[in-house]
Amino acid sequence: MTDSRTYDATQWGRPKFCPECKAQGTRKNKSNQQMETEKVVPEAEELPKTIVRRVVKDKLHNCSPDTDISVHKDALLAFCESARIFIHYLSATANDICKESKRQTINAEDVLKAIEEIDFTEFVDPLRDSLDEFRQKNAGKRAGTSKSKEEKKKQKVEEVAKERPFVLDTELRL
Amino acid sequence: MRQAGTYSGLLSKMSGRTGTHSLPLARIKKIMKKSGDDVKMISGEAPIVFSKACELFIEELTKRSWTMTMQGKRRTLLKDDVASAVIATDIFDFLLTLVSESGNNINADAGQVNPR
Repeated sequence: MTDSRTYDATQWGRPKFCPECKAQGTRKNKSNQQMETEKVVPEAEELPKTIVRRVVKDKLHNCSPDTDISVHKDALLAFCESARIFIHYLSATANDICKESKRQTINAEDVLKAIEEIDFTEFVDPLRDSLDEFRQKNAGKRAGTSKSKEEKKKQKVEEVAKERPFVLDTELRL
Repeated sequence: MRQAGTYSGLLSKMSGRTGTHSLPLARIKKIMKKSGDDVKMISGEAPIVFSKACELFIEELTKRSWTMTMQGKRRTLLKDDVASAVIATDIFDFLLTLVSESGNNINADAGQVNPR
């Protein structure tokens, strides 16, 4: 495994400046004083907290259905950061695999091989199932759109035939 | 009667939202491109696999962190639980740098067990 990948590793303990906090007003002024000295981290590079939170909460509910486990906000931040670093790590590994095959585009197989390489072997089967499901849905959609395209073509030909019958006749004669 | 949007929205969405937890593909692509300067081209299917892989990863990390929470007999999952889970699990070694940067506190709190 090469170490050419660089991570934008941020410290879990360091609060990030969040434009939302500033917009919310005076409630978070104290924390904002700390936050304002920190580097602005664009939210576009982070995974959405709501979705991460939902995944975490659902898993916790599966683990202990009788007990309601709450998640501290710092822990949620830690999950988001970990997931982001995971994507970096997996991307870099998949990229290496792709380059070894002398290709330019990282495809799904590269990602699956990368998953095995980073020892997350148990993920491979569910990921394949998920990918197959996506491919089937996509194929279904494409078949649907190609049919509608053919129908549109037929309609156009018919319309042209109705509007300009002489044109077609002359073309046929030639 | 024609009701726009109820089902047409579901059918037309190509974003790969297979469930309620799907991570946004565009954001995943952005993060992927930032992982290296030479990451140029990403196929349409790769972010789908990433999205699911990320979900599985978060679930695994959650499960292991929860174990730490239970060991501490608490009902709130703390950042320290996540850190402990990372340290205790081999496959999470790539996260150790994050833990060590922020978790000097953890090491201090856990106490340095010096054999006497």
